[in-house]
Amino acid sequence: MTYFESYLTVGAFIALGALLVGVVLVLARALAPSNPSAEKLSTYECGVDPVGSGWSQTYVRYYLYGLLFVIFDIEAVFIFPWAIQLESLGMFGLIEMLVFIGILVLGLVYAIRKGVLRWE
Amino acid sequence: MTFEIDYLALAPELVVAGTIIAALLLDLFLTRSKKYWVAVLSVVGVAGGLVPIVYMLAEGGTRSMFDGSYVVDEFALILKIVFLVSGYLVLLMSVSYIEADRYYQGEYYFLLLSSILGSLVMSSSRDLIVLFIGLELTTGPLFLLAGWRKGDAKSNEASLKFFILGVLSTAILLYGMSLLFGLTGSVEFTAIAAAIPDLVSEPALALSVLFLIVGFAFKASAVPFHFWAPDTYEGAPTPVAAYLSVNSKAAGFVAMLIVMYTALPGISEVWAPALWVLAALSMTVGNLSALRQGNIVRLLAYSSIAQAGFMLVPFAAAAVAGSDLAQAFSATVVYLVIYALMNLGAFAVVIAGARRTGSGDIDDWAGLGQKDPVLGLLTALFFLSLAGIPPLAGWYAKFVMFASVIEAGGISTLVLAAIAAVNSVIAFYYYARVIKAVWLDTPSEELLARPGREYAGSIKLTLAISMGLTIAIGIYPTFATYFGEASRVIATGGG
Amino acid sequence: MTVDAWIAEPVNWVFSIVAVVILFTAVRVVTSPNVVHAALYLVAALAGSAVMFLLLSAEFVALVLVLVYIGAVLVLFLFGIMITRAPTGFDEGLSNDRKLVSAAISLVLLGVLSWASLSAFGTDTVNTVGSPTATEILGDAILGRFVIPFEVVSFILLSALIGGITVARRDLTPLEEEERKAV
Repeated sequence: MTYFESYLTVGAFIALGALLVGVVLVLARALAPSNPSAEKLSTYECGVDPVGSGWSQTYVRYYLYGLLFVIFDIEAVFIFPWAIQLESLGMFGLIEMLVFIGILVLGLVYAIRKGVLRWE
Repeated sequence: MTFEIDYLALAPELVVAGTIIAALLLDLFLTRSKKYWVAVLSVVGVAGGLVPIVYMLAEGGTRSMFDGSYVVDEFALILKIVFLVSGYLVLLMSVSYIEADRYYQGEYYFLLLSSILGSLVMSSSRDLIVLFIGLELTTGPLFLLAGWRKGDAKSNEASLKFFILGVLSTAILLYGMSLLFGLTGSVEFTAIAAAIPDLVSEPALALSVLFLIVGFAFKASAVPFHFWAPDTYEGAPTPVAAYLSVNSKAAGFVAMLIVMYTALPGISEVWAPALWVLAALSMTVGNLSALRQGNIVRLLAYSSIAQAGFMLVPFAAAAVAGSDLAQAFSATVVYLVIYALMNLGAFAVVIAGARRTGSGDIDDWAGLGQKDPVLGLLTALFFLSLAGIPPLAGWYAKFVMFASVIEAGGISTLVLAAIAAVNSVIAFYYYARVIKAVWLDTPSEELLARPGREYAGSIKLTLAISMGLTIAIGIYPTFATYFGEASRVIATGGG
Repeated sequence: MTVDAWIAEPVNWVFSIVAVVILFTAVRVVTSPNVVHAALYLVAALAGSAVMFLLLSAEFVALVLVLVYIGAVLVLFLFGIMITRAPTGFDEGLSNDRKLVSAAISLVLLGVLSWASLSAFGTDTVNTVGSPTATEILGDAILGRFVIPFEVVSFILLSALIGGITVARRDLTPLEEEERKAV
């Protein structure tokens, strides 16, 4: 199988997924009775009446988690090429990668130790 | 493929990296009252980084790693000394400043040390990727340090302006690098230099060179890419401003010179006029704007923009005239070394003076010399040195600059020299204005009534070191010439 | 290449469609009056770029684009928007009266860059299409020749992490510090 043919599978999955969603939406529209009222149209929020707008401001502490996520996501990106070449890179590669990960783990230790991850 | 790693060549970086990690760990386990140990550790670590450098300088020779992408030659070693010594001085002047307020001390030292590590890596880079990563580590932490006074709107403004323009410049720089890589098919400077002759007529090459210059000029805050500098210096904590005006400026500057000199000598007809314009504009705009500043930090910000212009003069002149670049290179390095010392001294004076007067306005400094004669003398010393008055180090910097311009010859260089001469006179006016305020103006009642507090030992040490070196180089310039000569060795052999 | 040959190659079709999508969404990122929508258009533009990299057989770069930019950076964008604006999304002042000047400058820049790029690379053929770049090469490069920048990257990330946390976190009051024996 050539390079592009292998991606045909990916394309087929995307098309199938889109088709499935489309079909379900059309079916729901066609089969379900439509009888809206103000209460039915309100946003479902665990059974409680929704308060305020959905476009509200969130807390800055979410941002800290987002930041940690980005950093470790980038770290993960560097691990893939190493993992593929694990055997030929050998001990030296392992040590280098451990240093890299170790330095970043320090950031996690820092965050925990400073109580940044404490949810208050 | 395996590569040999020369651990001695990497020793300065390893020492600083180890210090960074130790500082971070120490910070995690110390209570607030004991945080000064982080500062002690940082100062010792940075000084420790100098040991292997001195050893390698004594031993001589060039150490090259990774296909010549990481080179430790005399030039790199000299730059590392400049970055470490100025980083050392900034760390020292930070101690009492950072302690006095409710800052995050441990993190502060961590970020400052990271930035120093970046500039060490950058000095050795002979490869676009190493250069870029080193430069990013140098400037990245500074975006955050500029906003360290979180409660202060000015500090936030400082950080935001610096960050947005800094990131924009990084994008432009990267675009230039990617074009250069696309054209030459290589990231190594020597390989790029070898590929250039076949590509000289290519518009994309000229474009990529211009993009590189724009990116570096932002970091070096040369006119017309200087807009962030005064606001950022004013809003940032003063030691950070000092660091920005010396280390980060020097990093951008040195990166530009390394790339132009080692990778792009074949296309100097594009970058030489650009550098000429940058130098002329930086001197003129920086000095004229400095004339109107009432705040001493803003004055130093514009003065450092102008000084960057002076620093560019030898290199730009030699490139335009087509004369020996190595000579110009050493003149620029001499200027850089001297500028770093006296500018850090001036910033230390600002910190001490702001403590004494409670203000950064030059008018409020009136009569400081009567209140505190030692500080008054130091103010005079560093500002006269910046103005280039013998026998202080600044005169030698200016002398080397003019000497190398005259050596280059040619009409356009002489025009540049004339611009530099006029600007030296303008600069003297505003430096002298500060000295006049300190010594000749009558002090306000308020100033005389302020309690005369003792300065912290660290700031005294900063002032003593920079004063000693400023006077020593002024009287015995051979010391600085050594730096210049060594950097010339580099420039020809190491690249 | 003749027109018939161009049409016969399905890669060209995919390229054209994706290129149009990227152009449209990229313009919308700048012109959309709602920042949240702009961020979502950016997702589409980046996904399109990922497909472009796939077409050039740079699989790893394409996946990094999806993983890091769409997966992480965009999340951070959205958080950033959500914590700074209330109510989120409906901004009046997103563009100012200099937008025509900016558009003109952008177009000139586009023209210059296109001209230079065409002149430099216009006749080149990309010979990697269809034969993916082995990620093994990247592994060797990162942990071999480029090991110094690789390790330095960890310091960049760490300083971004710690600096970001310091700037974004709430300052503790002295009392809270006392209580927690904060370090």
